[in-house]
Amino acid sequence: MLWSQGISLATVGEIKESWWMYALAAFVTVFIIGGSLYFAIKAYRQSRELGMPKEMVRKAVVSSVSFSVLPSVGIFIGVITMSGLLGIPLPWIRLSVVGALHYELMAASVAAEGITVTTMTTQNLVTIAFVMTFSILWGGLFAVFFLKRYQKKVLDKATAEGNKGFGKYLFDAVFIGMICAYVGDAVAKIVRYDTRVVVDGAYVLDEFGQYIVEDHKTFVPMIVLLSSMAAMAGFDWLVRKKGVKWLENFSLALSMIFGMIVAVVLGLGGIL
Amino acid sequence: MNTTSSYNDRMHRNGRIFIVLGFSVMIAVPLTMWFVTGVAPDPALFFPAFLTLSALQLPGGIIEVITYSPMLGTGATYLAFITGNLSNLKIPCAMNARELCGTDIGSPENEVVATLAVSASTITTTLVMTLGVVLLIPLTPLLNAPVLQPAFNWVVSALFGALGYKYFRSNPKMIPAPLLSMILLGLLVPKFLVGNLAICIVLGAIVSTVAAKILFDKHWLGGQRP
Repeated sequence: MLWSQGISLATVGEIKESWWMYALAAFVTVFIIGGSLYFAIKAYRQSRELGMPKEMVRKAVVSSVSFSVLPSVGIFIGVITMSGLLGIPLPWIRLSVVGALHYELMAASVAAEGITVTTMTTQNLVTIAFVMTFSILWGGLFAVFFLKRYQKKVLDKATAEGNKGFGKYLFDAVFIGMICAYVGDAVAKIVRYDTRVVVDGAYVLDEFGQYIVEDHKTFVPMIVLLSSMAAMAGFDWLVRKKGVKWLENFSLALSMIFGMIVAVVLGLGGIL
Repeated sequence: MNTTSSYNDRMHRNGRIFIVLGFSVMIAVPLTMWFVTGVAPDPALFFPAFLTLSALQLPGGIIEVITYSPMLGTGATYLAFITGNLSNLKIPCAMNARELCGTDIGSPENEVVATLAVSASTITTTLVMTLGVVLLIPLTPLLNAPVLQPAFNWVVSALFGALGYKYFRSNPKMIPAPLLSMILLGLLVPKFLVGNLAICIVLGAIVSTVAAKILFDKHWLGGQRP
């Protein structure tokens, strides 16, 4: 109690950037890395049991690391976006466990409508942290209680026939549906793209409590998508036809970089 | 002998423990903020906000488990549901690793590959974030530079373009139905698609699966002969 009384004298700005918030973020980071390493070691041991080639294991790890760097920088920019309102540690924590930028921005807006960095109180900050945390537990809870049953009843049957049954195509079909949804998303943004106005790391509401939006319709995501697709086709040709095997693990990351460079060049030309 | 089923059973047990521990760590954050500051959350703000967001997240969470867990397998699903960023990072990452390694979904080898992919991806993201925080002062002006904003705004489009090529090339007959339906959706109801991408992913998956099943039944898929 004495401790809390002492700290409560701090301003909300000091709390957001306090050493103990950074300590919490560091603790969450260690937990996530520890958990990931644990699963990775278990999977690696299983690969030995199954007699999987080491090259396959290496491929899975190297391609995943190279693939994840750029989207991770994008996620970190989300931390910077939210830091105006919430400081660095809380967005760092939230985007490390379950969170996603659009969800966190929405949670901040819904939990404390209309607040700004200058009007925010300590109670607002604590309430936002509670809302962000508790509202996003559902998927994980469902996995805890139902994943095993779902897997046994549905998935095991779908894959039971091995290469002869439809199961072989089922999951490719699901993922292709997902890719097509992102293509549709890029098409939609050519026609209309309402973006919510963000000020000080939170969505802004009008006097009727509605999000303030601006239409930023754009061709850029479609051009970026097609550019990285074309780059991937080129890298794929080099790997398959020209035998440039080392490219295989990096072709996805390099294709993404190409698409992102195209976005920057378009931006320099005033096309946003 | 370490059988696949016992490995899967252990992954379920360990995954559940990991999620419970992960939730405890997550919940410890706001509770610590409450304890240290001595300021409780405002119930008048908390409960309406919690219910509003849960109305979106509860069905969304269930749909995500149903849709994504087959692609991830057991261990990776539990890991991904604590570490987040599923559709924009973990799923494409696992599917890319699977494509490179040539494993079949549901196979013991794919379980290993997906778990390694999601673990490696999670560690990468966590390290990038940590490095970003440590180097925040020199990095912020660079990452906030207007010239670089388009690159990071559209990183997901770049990701799905590159990955799309691989899947489109491997399964050309499975593309037209979901692609056309999603393009039409984007043209006719753009606001809905952009605002409800998670729902549209499920719609795309359903269209794609139904179309693939029809093609499969007609023996028109892959190496099938009519």
